Amino acid sequence: MINYVLRRVLVAVPMLLGAMSIVFFAMRVLPGDPCVAMMGDQATTEALADCTKNLGLNRPLAVQYVDYLWRSVQFDFGNSLRQGYPVSEYISRMFPHTLVLVLAAAVVAALVGVPIGIFSALNRRNPLIDYPLRIFALLGLSMPVFWLGILLLIVFSLRLDLFPLIGGGDLDGAIAMIRSGEVFTQPRDFLAAVADVLHHLALPALALGFTLAATVSRLSRSAMLEVISQDYIRTARAKGHHERAVVYKHALRNMMVPLLTIIGLFVAIALTGTVLTETVFTRPGLGKMLVDAIGARDYPLAQGAITVFTVIIITVNLVVDMLYAVVDPRITYR
Amino acid sequence: MAITRDALPELTAVGARDDLRDRSLGRQLRRYGPIVIGVLMALTMVVVAAAAPLLAPLSPSAQYADAVLKGPGAQDRHVLGTDEFGRDVFSRIIWGARISLQVGLASVIFAFALGVPLGIVAGMQGGRVETAVMRCADMLMAFPTLLLALIIVTALGGSLVNEILAIGVALTPNFVRLARSLALTIREQDYILAARALGGGQLRIMARHVFPNALYALVVVATLYIATAIRTEAGLSFLGLGIPPPTPSWGNILSEGRQYIKCCPWITTFSGLAIMLAVLAFNLVGDALRDLLDPRLRGE
Repeated sequence: MINYVLRRVLVAVPMLLGAMSIVFFAMRVLPGDPCVAMMGDQATTEALADCTKNLGLNRPLAVQYVDYLWRSVQFDFGNSLRQGYPVSEYISRMFPHTLVLVLAAAVVAALVGVPIGIFSALNRRNPLIDYPLRIFALLGLSMPVFWLGILLLIVFSLRLDLFPLIGGGDLDGAIAMIRSGEVFTQPRDFLAAVADVLHHLALPALALGFTLAATVSRLSRSAMLEVISQDYIRTARAKGHHERAVVYKHALRNMMVPLLTIIGLFVAIALTGTVLTETVFTRPGLGKMLVDAIGARDYPLAQGAITVFTVIIITVNLVVDMLYAVVDPRITYR
Repeated sequence: MAITRDALPELTAVGARDDLRDRSLGRQLRRYGPIVIGVLMALTMVVVAAAAPLLAPLSPSAQYADAVLKGPGAQDRHVLGTDEFGRDVFSRIIWGARISLQVGLASVIFAFALGVPLGIVAGMQGGRVETAVMRCADMLMAFPTLLLALIIVTALGGSLVNEILAIGVALTPNFVRLARSLALTIREQDYILAARALGGGQLRIMARHVFPNALYALVVVATLYIATAIRTEAGLSFLGLGIPPPTPSWGNILSEGRQYIKCCPWITTFSGLAIMLAVLAFNLVGDALRDLLDPRLRGE
């Protein structure tokens, strides 16, 4: 097991390095001079030369590359060209917004997707149940998250005026209250901040969660189909177990193992989804930060955001691989 | 007339035959219904895209000053209403189908043409070649499709060719992985051994035996990736990184209409619906093909 973990980590490191290299070189071939983007067209040649020197862009590419890797390891992505603040500070501020969105969407996806997938698999011989559920999954899979987001905004924000149109709520305030301990001294204010966050989170989480639920329901369905065709399920039935016991005690538990492996895929889809969801709902977060940074040619910021996305995905996949070995004792790694 | 006991088996047999025919019809419908619907939808999209100049009632870039942000049916000539420049939404959506389909098909063909040979060579050769190819594929797979396409299109700039290239490259590792796994299975088959025994070279075996045997599964997956490519193109255009306006693409129609959702939701509603139907069409075809191939998922 330890050998496997070590080997898996060793494989992840070059992968991460490669992914970061792709980000670095892609950002270097971006059209337009970052200094011109930062200082405007009116900047003098001397000022531009100074800026290039300050940003270290006059150094050889290989030196810049090694510098980027070394600084990334220390979570230092330089300063944002537009705002001047350190990129890492931005990322730290935006990360909680994206995290709560992904978590809320995951809850929606799990609550909707898993039961639908299981129910669909167990009733696969009943087209009146299986087909509508499969169509639901197919629709969810085909519906772009940005379109669903806009439809939700039109109905619930503009027509019914139930949810805010933009923003992410007072998440920074809630986090600050937790850090300062005000959560205990002023619980009412804290709850108000949390309620505000949830109010702003509802529609984005529904939009992203629904599209994820489609993927989850399909994967749960195939995982369940795989499990109920196993011999131990037949044995459980032959022993005279009630169907409910067979499903809950035997099938469901074993289904979770293949389902676990899709968490990595799930995180990748969810993170991609946040780029679009945060843009639609004008919510702060890593995804919106990335899109804004690309639009403003703020490449340290874009580079930082993409690097963080990639690190998250690779790390989650690594952890999932290890969890897989822990959860399923039948699996041995040579 | 009373039914005698002797007549019963015959009646039952007739009834059973009818029942069997019904069930068989129902099964056929269930089995082939989705693929027929999907193929019809996809064909409709192809026809609409190909015949856009004939089908679109108006020019997609013509601006009607008297019809700015008019709703569907407000004026006879604008069935689905107009946008902020007074352009006909229906005509723009019809022309937008061209971009979506071009990007969808071309990027998948690109990914297929690049990924499948690499995957087959990796699977058949093994060793260092396999390690090198697969590590590169893994590296690219660390990025979700949209994110990788976004990086590439940002670096290259938004245009039709760049978008095809970006999405194509982003999809390539998927084909590499699938082709390799298929090649690994196929290379163990007896007919490969027979081909080798007959003196077939590695290249010939790959081209004449491995590729044709992997083709069916690869085409199924390619159909599903057309849906992914269409969705990714729409996403890129929505983020303002795809084909720049005024060329209509479903994503940029939706993105432009987003500013007017308060007064004029039809722009986003219809363009989004077009994206969804196109993605649904290719998902239906791909899904149905896969279900036909994999009896475990058929549910029968």
